Amino acid sequence: MLVVFLVGLSAPCGQARSLAPSFEGSLGRGALPEVLKKYGGVYHLPVHKRLWVDEVFSRLVSVAQRDDLEYTLIVLDSLELNAFALPGGYVLITRGLVHAIGEDESKLAAVLGHEIAHVELKHGVNAVFRQMGLTVLVEVGMMALEVASADLLRMAGATLLQLLNLGWGREAEYEADLYGQALAIKAGFDGAGAVGVLDDFFLSSSEDLPMKVFRTHPDSIKRRDRLAANMVSFWATPVPIGDRDLLERLDAGRNSKQDERKSDPKDRYAVRIDQNQTGLEVFHQDEGRTVATERWLENARAKDFSWSPLGQYLAVLVDDDSQEQLWICDRRGQVVRIIPLPGKRVTDLSWSPEEKQLAINVAGPNGPEVLVTYAKADVLFSIGGEFSGDVSLWLDTGLYFAQGHTWYHTWGPQVTPVKIPSPVPRVLQRQRILSPQVIKEGNTIRLTRPSLTIP
Amino acid sequence: MARPLRVGKYKLGALITLSILVSVSGYVQAESFAFLDPAQLYSTFIPDGWVFQAHHSTTQLAVFYGEGEFDLLYFESLGETTYVSVKELAERSLDLYVSPGGLGEFRLERPLQAVNVAGQWGLACGYSYVDARGNHLNEYRVFLLLPGNEGFSIAVSSDQPSIIDGSFLGDILAHWRWLF
Repeated sequence: MLVVFLVGLSAPCGQARSLAPSFEGSLGRGALPEVLKKYGGVYHLPVHKRLWVDEVFSRLVSVAQRDDLEYTLIVLDSLELNAFALPGGYVLITRGLVHAIGEDESKLAAVLGHEIAHVELKHGVNAVFRQMGLTVLVEVGMMALEVASADLLRMAGATLLQLLNLGWGREAEYEADLYGQALAIKAGFDGAGAVGVLDDFFLSSSEDLPMKVFRTHPDSIKRRDRLAANMVSFWATPVPIGDRDLLERLDAGRNSKQDERKSDPKDRYAVRIDQNQTGLEVFHQDEGRTVATERWLENARAKDFSWSPLGQYLAVLVDDDSQEQLWICDRRGQVVRIIPLPGKRVTDLSWSPEEKQLAINVAGPNGPEVLVTYAKADVLFSIGGEFSGDVSLWLDTGLYFAQGHTWYHTWGPQVTPVKIPSPVPRVLQRQRILSPQVIKEGNTIRLTRPSLTIP
Repeated sequence: MARPLRVGKYKLGALITLSILVSVSGYVQAESFAFLDPAQLYSTFIPDGWVFQAHHSTTQLAVFYGEGEFDLLYFESLGETTYVSVKELAERSLDLYVSPGGLGEFRLERPLQAVNVAGQWGLACGYSYVDARGNHLNEYRVFLLLPGNEGFSIAVSSDQPSIIDGSFLGDILAHWRWLF
């Protein structure tokens, strides 16, 4: 090994740099057959799923920095929930994880972005050399490796396979989390997908999940918290609004907002807070007539509520032992998530137009603050200490918030839905069993619709 | 619990429901009906014995079940595509159907041939394959590339081999109207 290193040092640097990626490629390529063997070989996804996964991967690769290697995506025929990367650009994901992710492109982008980040940052090859005691090689980069012998490659390959079960190390995982999240956002995906993946597949208490995904990834709670807190770094610095017309529109919006957000946008329900008891009184409407009544959130002391613009969610402000909480409910009154706001008093709420996010204006010991959260993902961050507001309006152009008469404008990263550029028609088959699945949710029974089988 | 749908409020559900209009005009059989695409792209005639599957349909996909256990009729809008010709759309589709992850034991029974659907030229073919349950199925499909490079497909499938000659679609295509 020492000989290899010394010979390597005498090589011209320029040549060495151009050859280094080929060593990474050889290392990854060499380990690939073993990995395929261990995980059941290559799995061919159904055509439409494949096109969708390929498009997500392609968008991520298009914003990757390294142009000295080609990225390859391989789906493994394993039901285990796992994904990893090999040096040289090989990104592997199990069919089990693809299936578990379902149709959430932000989660798929988070997983693939994380693995691409390992390759971009050379975590695999660096970890191999560290493990082999060749730290000097790591420090001088890949310069010595153009003369890599077959022996070195073989040893490195064996080490790589050992390390695959252990991971590339804690710091490498943290680094790949943040790099992968940034990559996903740059490619037009929602960065909250990374938090959702950890919540769903690692921190979830569901007994249905094998709990193996990212088993090699340490400190999952710390990782998800870092990813959630990092979301604010992708938001634009708020700027004060000087446009007089816009200011007038914002002030008008502020005045009309209180009434608008109380109405169910689809006229299905009339909701009011029960002043005597806890919970909400819900009146089912038909052509303006009440046809049935029920109570939602019976054990909650509701103070205020706000429908999302498309009527999918209801945000309810709840007083829980002098601590305010925000409960996000679905359109049937089932609680999706509870956001505790210790020491804070909510002054205003504003849903994003696509109703995925929610701005919460709070007053606390440190003055007013603007928080941003998600309807479904457990993400909550402050827009920034020096910017505050007691009222907000979320329009198509971004989030506007005001303190007194001064309005500020900020906006998050743009999310672009996946669109297959060259789609092909589906080939459908008839469903034999059309019986819906019955799901009990508390006192409510929900029926699912059967789905079509696609190739 | 849920109240009835109202026109103009719930685009998909209401339009699908209201677009299944029973036609009593002279040339249409008693139990057939006119179908108006919820996205207002086309309208056509659905023959007797075919039932619209609202729960399997979307704004891009309209699905009908026939009387036979495997009888299936469906129209799919692919939205804007990057294809430069309908030939490219059809050939890529067939390439993917035959590829790993595509259709089992795929066999092209009738090669692509030109077809005119209400003034739009497309390509049609017939093929057979075996589904995941081992059923031998036959399908006739029309590929179209509409103005604005919008991909579109009309397909009918059955366990009956005669479906792949395309004659079943005769009445449906004869009554086809594009609404753009």
